[in-house]
Amino acid sequence: MKKLLQLFIAGIILSAILLYAIQAMNESQGYSGENTLTIYNWGNYIDMDLIKQFEKETGVNVIYETFDSNEAMLTKIQQGGTTYDIAVPSEYMIDKMREEDLLIPLDHRKLPNLNNIDDRFMDLPFDPGNKYSIPYFWGTVGIAFNPELLPNKTFTSWNDLWDPALKNEILLVDGAREVIGMGLNSLGYSLNDTNKQHLQEASQKLETLTPNIKAIVGDENKLLMQNNEAAIAVLWSGDAADIMWENEAIDYVVPKEGSNLWFDNMVIPKTVKNIEAAHQFINFMLDPEIAAQNTEYVAYSTPNKAALSYMDEEMVNDERFYPPPELTEKLEVYKNLGPKMLSYYNDLFLEFKMHPK
Amino acid sequence: MHHKSTPTAKIFLFIIFAILYTPIFFLIFYSFNSGGTMSHFEGFTLDWYKELFHDTRLFIIVLNTLVIALLSSLIATIIGVFGALSIHAYKKRMKNTLLSLNNVLIVSPDVIIGASFLILFTFAGIKLGFYSVLLSHIAFSIPIVVLLVLPKLMEMSPSLVDAAKDLGASNWNVLTKVVLPYITPGIFAGFFMALTYSLDDFAVTFFVTGNGFSTLSVEIYSLARQGISLNINALSAVLFVVTILLVIVYYFITQRTNMKGVGIRK
Repeated sequence: MKKLLQLFIAGIILSAILLYAIQAMNESQGYSGENTLTIYNWGNYIDMDLIKQFEKETGVNVIYETFDSNEAMLTKIQQGGTTYDIAVPSEYMIDKMREEDLLIPLDHRKLPNLNNIDDRFMDLPFDPGNKYSIPYFWGTVGIAFNPELLPNKTFTSWNDLWDPALKNEILLVDGAREVIGMGLNSLGYSLNDTNKQHLQEASQKLETLTPNIKAIVGDENKLLMQNNEAAIAVLWSGDAADIMWENEAIDYVVPKEGSNLWFDNMVIPKTVKNIEAAHQFINFMLDPEIAAQNTEYVAYSTPNKAALSYMDEEMVNDERFYPPPELTEKLEVYKNLGPKMLSYYNDLFLEFKMHPK
Repeated sequence: MHHKSTPTAKIFLFIIFAILYTPIFFLIFYSFNSGGTMSHFEGFTLDWYKELFHDTRLFIIVLNTLVIALLSSLIATIIGVFGALSIHAYKKRMKNTLLSLNNVLIVSPDVIIGASFLILFTFAGIKLGFYSVLLSHIAFSIPIVVLLVLPKLMEMSPSLVDAAKDLGASNWNVLTKVVLPYITPGIFAGFFMALTYSLDDFAVTFFVTGNGFSTLSVEIYSLARQGISLNINALSAVLFVVTILLVIVYYFITQRTNMKGVGIRK
């Protein structure tokens, strides 16, 4: 009995000390004050120095939390019980969040820096008039390849992937819209095509690609490419930038037939507590110099036109990440095709995945 | 029981331990890598450790994890012991039913438990954070404590209790002077089991955290999605050393009490 009591008391005392330590640390970091701003962003998707600068300029304490998928973020916001002031979902998720009434309309008067954004990236189909969202970064879907593993191969078109010499070399990203979209693009159709005959054609064409496919993967494609274990991957430009950072041999192209144009956007979810600071933060991030610094850190493509002049020339002129106008015209944003069409896409993708090699 | 171990047995043992410990040492080894990745070793550096000790956020998360583990296993032990006592008091059929219900909670997947807690907490309006994590950890630790305490109770001869009562002990005396001392090893086992379960729980915690509260397993998971940075290796190395130290301390404590037990022997 004595032993049990000792254990019990020791446990209580230890917990009390730890709790006190946590409290003290939280206070010293300013996490428990009143004037806070909670940002919910993708991991490693902002230059942390900018957050410190924002804290200094405004006196707001920033709590920075990360998520790893749009779906995880949606669940946390949907469930309530959280106090996120800013979130950064991808464009297709904005549609969904808007439908479920999870977003707060932005007050454009509090965002004077909004006019720094390139007009091309304003007023897009997923959020007409930018009522709820401001683009944060954008990118494309394309082909990353390793010329060291594939001498004398160049890629300019989606159809180059169908080359019989590439047997068992290609990694595809595990997304129905991306893969079916690639099939549609390779035939010259739109990514948002709803004509079932066109979709069937695309799916049949994709089936002939199966011998060349090494695997259909998620985030693993980064490691496989970095470590020279795979030669070609169809992926998002953001992932490609990460890979190229680690392995300089790798190159990236946006095929000439066109491709997807995606956005990650800053929104204010309905869980907001400090709406004033949230607007302040969005406006801060839209400042050309701030955006330029952030872009150089994250290395994705910025929609901030004014920021380009503050950035490294080499980065701005990189056509892989800032494609020339002829190509940009062919890039399409995913439209919300409705649940019925979406499940048709998913069915085709599933059939494709199950197609015997 | 003094078999001389054959060479084969020794080799077998060696291989098993090698398999179990190699990944950990591999991880620790790369925490000193100046190269920045786990693919090849470039040179020795302590940068990752420096970065680790300057990261207050990560340190808070480590402390959070420890507090949650300690508090939840303490509370779960208390509740679990009383649960075991009451299950033990039932007649056979009822006892089996209750025990099966208890075991279902242990074998049911963490994901389901986590999801159901999430739904419950949001339904009840409990803010996700420290308390929701603590409550859910207590809840999934209780069945473990019950399971480890109950065999000790079964093992105890009922005549012990009868004898104590014969000699005029009150119910309280029977509990504190006879039953609890007898089942103490079970209670300790339950407590430490609950502690380890809580320390490394990922699935349940993943569902019920929010609002700036995070535990180590959840944090490492979200860090790992961007490719593991080597300060995670450094952190694992530190935790490994701390665990080793705890095991050594625990070893000495048990050594001492055993000696005392032999020496006194009334």
